[in-house]
Amino acid sequence: MTAVTQTPDPDAAHPANGLDEVVHQRVRLGILAITHEARRVEFGYLRTQLELTAGNLSKHLSVLEAAGLIEVEKGYEGRRGRTWITLTDDGVTALSNEIRRLKQLIARVETTNDE
Amino acid sequence: MTTDSASAAGDPRRLLSDIRALAHRVRLDQRMTWAALLVLAAATLVGIPFDWFGMKVTCYPDGGCQYARQGLLYYWPVAMLLTYAAIAFCYVRAARARGVGTRVLPYAITGAATTVVFPAAWFGLRLYLSSHPVPEGPLPYWWFLLDRLVMPWAMVGVALLVLAWLERNVALLLFTLAYLALVLVLPLNIGIGPPKWGLRAQFAVPQLIVGVVLLLGALGFRAARRRPR
Repeated sequence: MTAVTQTPDPDAAHPANGLDEVVHQRVRLGILAITHEARRVEFGYLRTQLELTAGNLSKHLSVLEAAGLIEVEKGYEGRRGRTWITLTDDGVTALSNEIRRLKQLIARVETTNDE
Repeated sequence: MTTDSASAAGDPRRLLSDIRALAHRVRLDQRMTWAALLVLAAATLVGIPFDWFGMKVTCYPDGGCQYARQGLLYYWPVAMLLTYAAIAFCYVRAARARGVGTRVLPYAITGAATTVVFPAAWFGLRLYLSSHPVPEGPLPYWWFLLDRLVMPWAMVGVALLVLAWLERNVALLLFTLAYLALVLVLPLNIGIGPPKWGLRAQFAVPQLIVGVVLLLGALGFRAARRRPR
């Protein structure tokens, strides 16, 4: 992470402190972003968009599901098995928090660079 | 934190731009703009014979004619509901086949809601004219503009604006603005063409123009979609 020298400010904690370990990961953030935009997304679509193997994607999905950020629904369409992923309310909140923190982080770095 | 996240965290700007790029790709995959325009073009073109045969025209010896476009009133409310249901169905089906959900419901609801405006305005005008005399002299321009705005073709434009917003589709927004300008300029409420054509043909011409514009829009968006990204 970019080293930022800041005077301690009790009113404004560093935005990096609020980053969620589960969400702050490129692939998992990608899963949340896609699912949020798509409302509901199929496993195969996620795999293609994120260029992951099925096993790798499954691992990330398990982490998000265990954290209660997504719901996984398995079903059939004809004879074909389909797995659909949706965001939970906590997932929506976690994604918007992460985006807010990232924006704060960028703003803080820019402010520091200007000084 | 994994190595992956640690490196990504070093560049929050890149993470944010990745999120935006992924969301944009999803929106592109959810789009079926051409299908919406095609269905609307079909509804417009199919409506022409309803207007033609459903129009009551009474001509007087002094050359003046009175008309009532009953066909429009019976055709469009039903056609609009069927049209928006068909568009919603196309969107949901296509999105599902691609592996994503869709946000077309607000569009379909707007379409259905705008459907009510047209017959309501028509009934309102009839009620007003039944208790008030028809104003003499040339009507003000705003009256014609308002009249055109509450007609089904302008309502289609309003619903397309909602679709452009839902899809964050700048191309559709520009197309819709040009379409709305055309609909407000075209004399859809008084007809166009030389008098020898007769009232029915004069009313059919602007509807034909609107239908062809929507059809060309559908073909254009379809061609743009087929282009490799």
